[in-house]
Amino acid sequence: MTAAVTEPAASARLPRLDWPFLIAALLALSLLVALVMIDGQPAAAALLVSGFALGVVFLKAEFSFTASWRRLIVRGQADGFLGGLLLIAIAATVIVPVAATVQGFGGTIAPIGPSLVIGAFVFGIGMQLANGCGSGTLYTVGGGSGRMLVTLALFIAGSVIGSLHLPAFLSLGGIDPVLASNHLGPWGGLAATLASIAAVAAAIVAYARKKGAAVWPARKIVIGAILIGLLCIAVFAAGRHPWSVTFGFTVWGAKLATLAGIDLTGAEFWQWPGPKRALGDSILSDTSSLTDIGMILGAMAAAAAAGPFARNAWPPLKSLLAAAVGGLLMGWGARIGFGCNIGAFVGGVASGSLHGWVWFLAVLPGCMIGIRLRPLFGLSRE
Amino acid sequence: MRIAYAAAFLIGFVALLADHLTSPSSGRPVSPEDFAGACAPCGAPCPSSRAAK
Repeated sequence: MTAAVTEPAASARLPRLDWPFLIAALLALSLLVALVMIDGQPAAAALLVSGFALGVVFLKAEFSFTASWRRLIVRGQADGFLGGLLLIAIAATVIVPVAATVQGFGGTIAPIGPSLVIGAFVFGIGMQLANGCGSGTLYTVGGGSGRMLVTLALFIAGSVIGSLHLPAFLSLGGIDPVLASNHLGPWGGLAATLASIAAVAAAIVAYARKKGAAVWPARKIVIGAILIGLLCIAVFAAGRHPWSVTFGFTVWGAKLATLAGIDLTGAEFWQWPGPKRALGDSILSDTSSLTDIGMILGAMAAAAAAGPFARNAWPPLKSLLAAAVGGLLMGWGARIGFGCNIGAFVGGVASGSLHGWVWFLAVLPGCMIGIRLRPLFGLSRE
Repeated sequence: MRIAYAAAFLIGFVALLADHLTSPSSGRPVSPEDFAGACAPCGAPCPSSRAAK
């Protein structure tokens, strides 16, 4: 009787809103928006706000590429994976024709060769050990996960190491990007892109049915996919290129390395025009950094608005070790393989670039190995 | 964890502000793909242009 009276009283004392973190997230977003507006960069403000919205949607919809791909591999479930294909199809309807016809806009492209395949494979191992990909790391860090703070730190370190190795991997050879709209025109390219997504969806549905597993996504996943697809279009409109995540991590790491006295300017990667400019300019001038920061703040605001924030105990050491190893592998793999689930897979396929599907075929065996390794770190295979 | 998280957030945010206030930031935000010769989201050149060098 006493316990029954005491427990509700104790839970009633817990705040419904975690005001300090909610206010911190909103203040931080407001300050950053004000700073970029002072510089006359409304596009930067739009990227910050779009990233913020992505953080909210990912957290509320619990949209996870890593977990849904694991469910597909282990149980044959198609639901989460189909949600991912839905958001790509929505984004593609704008990205493919606009990138092909409007000056200043471009799709996500990448060379196809050993670098792409090796990088994606290693990334797949890392994402299953870390329990989150690029976007997953951002929204779980924002959501208050201490474990994923470890992943993010090592993701950043791994991507800087990868930036030093990428030129050597490019020397292994490869072919120039293959973009559907270059061969079929903007609308033919869009038709081919949507047809490829439909064909993969049909194959996945047939596989799930054969396995007797769940096929159709729950309403929460469908709504999340639609909103994320629309936000991908918003990011594309503001940044003029599809959403990407991991280049921002590489820039953050390179700036920290420079601060620590490590001179990266002599490295080939950091002499290419884009990375060279990113290393010298403000982080708030880099499109992927803007959405990354917005996403962390959005997830933080959403999590703090829902209840007590970051109050969980630290996970066991083995789990932290998996987070660290996974983060390092993801960072290195993302740089060698031209991005993560967002930059390479979502951005590539939604642009009608063949490398997006090649990346997907290469990441799957990496995921299978990562799933097999999870029990070594005390993590379940599911 | 809450204190460690708050400390990490604060340090990260102060570092971000310091970087912004001490680095050039004029013009619209860019990605490496905006630059001529970029063949990937990170700005890597195309295999054909590397082979030509």
